[in-house]
Amino acid sequence: MAKVLGIDLGTTFSAMATIEGGQPKIIENAEGERTTPSVAAFSKTGERLTGTLARRQAITNPQDTIYSVKRLIGRKFSDPIVQKDKNLLSYEIKEGANGGVEIKMGERWYKPQEISAMILQKLKTDAEAKLGEKITDAVITCPAYFDDSQRKATKDAGEVAGFNVKRVINEPTAAALAYGLDKKKDQEIVVYDFGGGTFDISILYVSPDTIEVKGTGGDTHLGGDDFDQKIMDWVIESFKRDENIDLHKDPLALQRIKEAAEKAKKELSSTMQVEINLPFITSGASGPKHLSYSLNRSKLEELVDDYIKKSIDLTKKTMKECGLKASDIEEIVLVGGQTRMPKIQEEVKKLFGKEPNKEINPDEVVAIGAAVQAGIIGGEMKDVLLLDVTPLSLGIETLGGVNTVLISKNTTVPVAKSQIFSTAAENQTSVEINVLQGERPMSVDNKSLGRFILDGIPPSPRGIPQIEVTFDIDVNGILNVTAKDKATGKEQSIHIEGSSGLSKDEIEKLKKEAELHKEEDEKKKGNIEIRNNAESLVYTTEKTLKDAGEKVPADLKAKIEDKAKELKEILKNDNFDIIKTKTEELSQSLQEVGTHLYQQQKQEEEKGKPEEKEPDKDDKDDKGEKDDKKAKDADFEEK
Amino acid sequence: MTDNKKQKELEKLKKEKDEYLKGWQKERADFINYKKDEKERFKEVVRFSNERIIKSLIAVLDGFDLAIESFLQQGKDKKENEHYLKGIYLIKSQFEDILEKEGIEKIKVKLGDSFNPALHEVVTVIEDKKYSPDTITEILEKGYILNGKVIRPCRVIVAKTI
Repeated sequence: MAKVLGIDLGTTFSAMATIEGGQPKIIENAEGERTTPSVAAFSKTGERLTGTLARRQAITNPQDTIYSVKRLIGRKFSDPIVQKDKNLLSYEIKEGANGGVEIKMGERWYKPQEISAMILQKLKTDAEAKLGEKITDAVITCPAYFDDSQRKATKDAGEVAGFNVKRVINEPTAAALAYGLDKKKDQEIVVYDFGGGTFDISILYVSPDTIEVKGTGGDTHLGGDDFDQKIMDWVIESFKRDENIDLHKDPLALQRIKEAAEKAKKELSSTMQVEINLPFITSGASGPKHLSYSLNRSKLEELVDDYIKKSIDLTKKTMKECGLKASDIEEIVLVGGQTRMPKIQEEVKKLFGKEPNKEINPDEVVAIGAAVQAGIIGGEMKDVLLLDVTPLSLGIETLGGVNTVLISKNTTVPVAKSQIFSTAAENQTSVEINVLQGERPMSVDNKSLGRFILDGIPPSPRGIPQIEVTFDIDVNGILNVTAKDKATGKEQSIHIEGSSGLSKDEIEKLKKEAELHKEEDEKKKGNIEIRNNAESLVYTTEKTLKDAGEKVPADLKAKIEDKAKELKEILKNDNFDIIKTKTEELSQSLQEVGTHLYQQQKQEEEKGKPEEKEPDKDDKDDKGEKDDKKAKDADFEEK
Repeated sequence: MTDNKKQKELEKLKKEKDEYLKGWQKERADFINYKKDEKERFKEVVRFSNERIIKSLIAVLDGFDLAIESFLQQGKDKKENEHYLKGIYLIKSQFEDILEKEGIEKIKVKLGDSFNPALHEVVTVIEDKKYSPDTITEILEKGYILNGKVIRPCRVIVAKTI
């Protein structure tokens, strides 16, 4: 079936996505970018340009470069918004037929939908080139506040571009679809969209099969670009104060500061402080001048505080208009690149008292949602094809009460995974399998789904038996755990239904707990590892000394025995630093035994060749490891 | 069960079987294609991370250009400075060599060339009688191409139409 394209036709940038392998995926444009500037132009050489190329020539050709056409589409010329924007636009507009807006580009007058069509046409061509197939069907998004005329014009733009527009859906609805919130029942959600040039707030009511817009608000002239401008102003003012040079008049300096400001803003979302270094920014009477300032996160927050406050006030206002309180809102979705700013996330969280959805790239979430809608229409996202995931990790309890995970959380089912385990004690004839669910590293902190015993394991030294444990979850989430002794073929299993039958709250609670205890849990697990290593080394030491018998010089043997005894003694307490140090010491001493035994063997080999064949014969019967063989050779010689 | 009922049941099951088989085949095909795509995507990721590093290094290269230019303007009279200048030139060319090996290409441009948005970006326009309208009067920042993609257009000043 032909693919349906999901398009986020934005005021400053547009993006497109489609469904591939059941998953929505962003499609890059011909320039290799994931978003395309919503700009069209008629160049001085008479060429029609769109996207990045149109933007690059904007300054030399302002009257024929059309941007922000979304502010005009489907509106009457007499609309107060058009009248207000008219003075801000660098291109000419006039009243057209039926009172609509017409835009002058080149020698001709165009309707706004014709300009939008040029941008959509570029997206179509680029998508077809990327996907290698013809695309005719599309789902296009528009703001929730668009009226019928604006929606109709958006649809017309798509048709002019050669699309069969399957549907025009609201941007906030698309964002909610991207997060799968349409499957929720009867709840209010807020979509907080802080883009490059506009701020939109939408309140949606989600009920089975429908998403209804309850209210919208925002500011059509507030966006991330204003944040960049604030940083630029701060840099330029600081430089003026320090050097008494005004960089406003220097185009290269301005260009460099603009780029540096954008970069600094982005970096401050993940670091606390950035350096804005622009060497040789200009020349003064006394030689070259360099610009170097450090900007920290709190300074940036101070610079843009008014904007953030304004967005929060607008959100409150919109909720009030809908007769809702912050506590009525079940889910919040963040859209737009500016929402990456930690301060914004913090303020939104503070307002609603809960964590907003922000995992999907906020620049792409609307296009992703449009693709999800396109997938539903195209039949690629049928519910029967949607496979479940295990919400929490599944594992078993191992030595020292550690939770060893076999299937990690968010694994798509059906799935089966096996791992080989062994015994922890000498001559252990049974093992207990305790099936655990949860994210905590210690088994007691997780939920035990069931336990069973596998017995009849032939007595052998610790670590020798091979017990294969298999976790198998079928498509309905039913878990089957099997333990099998590889030597005897004996097996035992347990059948656990509803392993993912936890409610969403329970799952969230368990996840949160894991996050909360992460540090102490890791420490606990680390300590157990230290203890397990130490115990295992004591065992190996004793075995090695016993096996080697007389071949280890008495003084070395005594030294090692002392160290092993000491470590055993220390193991009675919980001083893990000392246990670790002493384990390392013993391990080093034990290596001396190894070295000694090898040297001895080498000496014996050099004694004469005929003797060498005999132990080789013996080797054929010996199915042990290579090191064991050597130990055995030595034994044989001794006899 | 009557024959009629059995027949109906059989048809229903057949239909279901076809649907499942189709679904399964589609999933398999999607998965195989996905694996292929993933391979390509991995290559893209490598290329992309290279691109990110190279893009940030370009700013350092700009620094060298600016330093040399500033030196030529202000320190050229002093003979003893020549050695330092030569040193800076050498470091710069070492740096350029590394970037060239990574596949970076400088966008060739000279004053008086006509403006081309595929390669150039206008920073400002000025009146300049020496040049015809829409041609480049000054190069502010060099442009670069990496593996056929313009990673930074050449930033220029263009002559205004008078």
